[in-house]
Amino acid sequence: MRKYTPARLAALALAAALMAVLFLSACGQQPQGETEPAGEKETPAVNVNYGISNPWDSLMPYYSVSGSNYSRIIYDKIYDRLAYVQADGTCLPRAAQSWESADDGYAILFHLDPKATFHDGTPVTAQHWADTITLVTNPACETLGRATFVGLAGTDETGAAVAGETLGVEAVDEATLKLTFTSPVLPEEFLVDKNRDIYVLPTHLLGDIPPEEMMTDDFWLSPVGSGPCKYVSEVSGSTLVLESNPDYQLGKPGFDTLTITVMDKSNLLTALIAGDLDYYAFGGSLSEENKPVAEQAGFQVLEGEVPNTFFELMINNETIASADLRHAIEKALDKELLCQQNSGTRGTTTSSSILPGTPYSSPETQGTYDPQGAKELLASAGYNGETYTLACTSQRANLAALVQQNLKDVGIQVEIETVDSATMFAGMYDGTYDLGLASHTPTTLPLWFTGERFAPDHNLFHVADLSHYTQLLSAIRSETQERARIDLVDEFEAYLNQEMPFVPLWFTHALHVQSNTVTGIDYPASACCNENVWQWEKKA
Amino acid sequence: MANYIVKRILGALPVFFGITLLVFFLMNMAPATIADAAGGGEASSAVMRAALEANLGLDQPIPVRYVLWLKELLTGDLGLSYRTGQPVLRMIAQRVVPSLILTGTGVAAAVVIGIPLGVMAAWKPGSGWSRLAGGLTLLSYSAPGFFLCVLFIYCFSVVLGWFPAANMYSAGSGGGLGDLLLHLALPASVVCLSSLGNLVRQTASACGEVLGEDYIRTARAKGLPEWRVVWVHGFRTALLPVITTILNHIPHIIGGSLVVERIFGWPGMGSLLFTSVSSRDYTVIMGITAVIALAVLATGILMDIFYRMADPGVGWGGEAK
Repeated sequence: MRKYTPARLAALALAAALMAVLFLSACGQQPQGETEPAGEKETPAVNVNYGISNPWDSLMPYYSVSGSNYSRIIYDKIYDRLAYVQADGTCLPRAAQSWESADDGYAILFHLDPKATFHDGTPVTAQHWADTITLVTNPACETLGRATFVGLAGTDETGAAVAGETLGVEAVDEATLKLTFTSPVLPEEFLVDKNRDIYVLPTHLLGDIPPEEMMTDDFWLSPVGSGPCKYVSEVSGSTLVLESNPDYQLGKPGFDTLTITVMDKSNLLTALIAGDLDYYAFGGSLSEENKPVAEQAGFQVLEGEVPNTFFELMINNETIASADLRHAIEKALDKELLCQQNSGTRGTTTSSSILPGTPYSSPETQGTYDPQGAKELLASAGYNGETYTLACTSQRANLAALVQQNLKDVGIQVEIETVDSATMFAGMYDGTYDLGLASHTPTTLPLWFTGERFAPDHNLFHVADLSHYTQLLSAIRSETQERARIDLVDEFEAYLNQEMPFVPLWFTHALHVQSNTVTGIDYPASACCNENVWQWEKKA
Repeated sequence: MANYIVKRILGALPVFFGITLLVFFLMNMAPATIADAAGGGEASSAVMRAALEANLGLDQPIPVRYVLWLKELLTGDLGLSYRTGQPVLRMIAQRVVPSLILTGTGVAAAVVIGIPLGVMAAWKPGSGWSRLAGGLTLLSYSAPGFFLCVLFIYCFSVVLGWFPAANMYSAGSGGGLGDLLLHLALPASVVCLSSLGNLVRQTASACGEVLGEDYIRTARAKGLPEWRVVWVHGFRTALLPVITTILNHIPHIIGGSLVVERIFGWPGMGSLLFTSVSSRDYTVIMGITAVIALAVLATGILMDIFYRMADPGVGWGGEAK
């Protein structure tokens, strides 16, 4: 009888492991292989390889826990939205061919495209849209996307339908959807603000699912939508394979399959150069230092015309309670230098969160860098040398060091804490940090940034008295005449400049590396979480 | 032997639950929850955060949440992912095989290269083999995984264009073995190089010690060929610590390689863990913790069985002396 020595056992174990690996790998099929019809192998499928640096959430679009743009850009492919929003805020037809204001501005009528169909062939009707909104606003439904419908008639402050009240959604006819609101709303502004979070669901297939189980039902493991791409397969958080929808009302995308792969941000450009990717989200954006790398590899790099990132210094107004002190911080910051270091020549310093070039933006502002003025304000504010904590993410560590140096130059002591984004915002929210460096994707709406930061239940800057902020915000929201609205926005901006609850730093334009293999991509529009995939064409 | 295995398994159970308890509480002590991460953090109002926490059961006390998780675990259910709403078991099952393929291949290659190299380094100190072993060990220990990933991608993918820089299969290729091997080459090489240093050093050190023993001198005096003295008499004796090193890689093989998987877009357990930690997806983190803890404990038991089979003098415990 053979003796089982350690060597023999190890060899057997190793051999068994290798056999298992080879067996599993040989058996394992790429998910996409399932879609290829048997017997039709004359032309290989045209695939677009799409990279993304963060995973999406559930494929149920109203159950996005992160609520991130990474999920929205995926939903955008499978599900249809009312409009396609361009980077400059222009809205183009998508599921809705046109829209108009009704009931003195309290309602919007959407005229839907009658050619739209779900992936199972069922026509999309206004009733589907109405049923979707009714479902999502149903308090029994454990959705995370209900906040989108705050302001719709018949809903409460969370967007849930109020029992006994009529919900402000109506299918006027097969192709006309009417939304009614509690205050006047401009259609274009509604779309710029909400379009990215409103999708039509195949409610005709969901009838048997109780609302309380709707969000986690197995239906969403293999969802049916009406977007330009159909679901094929998914390895959750890693790979998603979609195929083009030949019946999409705006045209069939110029490829057969779209394979979306999550990979580290640092490898997106190299994978594009190596030919493993055709394009990556968002808009093939890349940093200034990577621009020559892309150009040397034969890629064209273009700068977006509309700024797509806004940088701010968050301030805890409770621990930094004096407005003079907050002004001193602003005057101490050499925004030009910080902007240059961070964004090269693509940045424009600002003293407002309003996107430059919109009707609400103020004329060019003067530079605010004034170290001497900062020192005087510090003296008048009675600053006692306290050390403040500045939170930032690892990507902003260099920027934080420059901010620290700027503040130190006028005598403000700051220590930096490098944390992840969730911890930073949680720390600002609960008052752990005094300062925080953050960036955001702006829209053309005047209140895109400030609108949600001065609410009593979301007082991120810990402002002691929100009453004047909320009054002004409410007045701006309910004003539909542009001139009067501009005046109100100016008044609000003047108040922000007086109180300085946060320091606006600068806006940056994105650099977009152009795909060499896919044409027709509207790169800047990806900042609005939509991509015109129906116009994409993969080169042969 | 059966009694011994049962005893070891029973002894491992409290350790397993201890690990899960520790991870669960440490995880919940970390700043920010998934509700804080929602909407990029900044956009969620207190009402929405509360709604999300209630939806996910995060509004309950931590001990209650742990007991609920444990209850699900004991029924063979790891719950639903906070982030995706999908069963955690399904998500892990999707990721185990790619991790086995990647890390298993890398470690297997490291064994195939590292053991002979270690033996050669011990057998012929100061030779080219020894210098090669020293160089590779130094590289393996000193070069971080992410650096090797970037270096390999730049050299073999961007400049030479020999291998793909990302994914497990080429999209549209049908997922054949050849395509898999092509995609496997770079990430598996990084895993191999990262594991190589330890294996070479262990093998060289164990062999070096054994080759100085009297019985090796006796074997040589008997006129046995040198290769037989080294490989049959020397190496076999030195194998025990080497096996320990190899077996220690098992949890790594199952748990995947976080950095390598993340950079190469490999759909394994490591990248799932990275995503789950970033998004505070506690149920998935706990699921992966349970799987890795089981792998570590099973490896420990397996190693003990190996030792006892290799050295009958250790015994199984309880037998009559």
